[in-house]
Amino acid sequence: MNEARAAVTLSLFAIGILAGVVVHSVVDRGPAENPYPTLPKVEEPRAAHDVVAAIGTDDAQSLSRLVDSKMLSDLDAALQPITDVRTTKFVGAVESEGRLLSAYVVTGKTTEGIDFVVGFVLRVANDQVVGVN
Amino acid sequence: MVGLRRLIAGSAGTLLVGMFAGFVIASAVGVFVQDSGLFGASGESPVARAYMLGLLQRDPNSIVGIRPNQSIAQRAAELQGADTSRTTSTIQPLSLTYIGGATVGGYSVHIYAVDLRNSQGVDQFFPLALTVSGGKVVRSE
Repeated sequence: MNEARAAVTLSLFAIGILAGVVVHSVVDRGPAENPYPTLPKVEEPRAAHDVVAAIGTDDAQSLSRLVDSKMLSDLDAALQPITDVRTTKFVGAVESEGRLLSAYVVTGKTTEGIDFVVGFVLRVANDQVVGVN
Repeated sequence: MVGLRRLIAGSAGTLLVGMFAGFVIASAVGVFVQDSGLFGASGESPVARAYMLGLLQRDPNSIVGIRPNQSIAQRAAELQGADTSRTTSTIQPLSLTYIGGATVGGYSVHIYAVDLRNSQGVDQFFPLALTVSGGKVVRSE
């Protein structure tokens, strides 16, 4: 009798889980359709990779040689409020008529020690980083 | 009678707990799959996509619920700006590409590339990084 009751309870629980998954799939419909064309992804440009590698290894010396002072200022603004970079991740790059955007996500800590995540994009043209967004 | 009522209540409770567990599990698995890009998932957030479409279609009303609360004056000024922009200039979006993103704790970052032609016929290609938290876009740059 107890075994039968346990089996029924477990079955009800399993049915409930399935129903929950179904409800979630109905409620969570995903992003709306994009009515605009999308650009194909391209490989990470070498120049951008070098810049982000310097950021990831906290190598200010290399970074100072790779980008000019204006871009360093833009980079500082893009990384705010992170002051201590922990990880850098290349998330993708796209190209339109020779203009290339290489996107990164950086995680780290703020001056208050709070974990944070920011995204920034390096503009690349003629195998050189020409801007930071 | 009391026994039957107790049986029904117990069964309904078990079913409800199971449903809740199933919903939470499906949610967690969905976030993991989206972030990891498994099964072809892009990782794109529906909130971020809706925000980008609202921006490109210059429709502030469509994104009012997915960004931080603004005062009534700010919202009115934005609607004025959108009306002026719609009537005096033609901006033609050429492409909208989700480049990628990541999630850390309660924050997720989603990066897009936008290609558009302004009213002077000049093509502009620029990125936008959106930070989403609690179902709202809390930062756009």
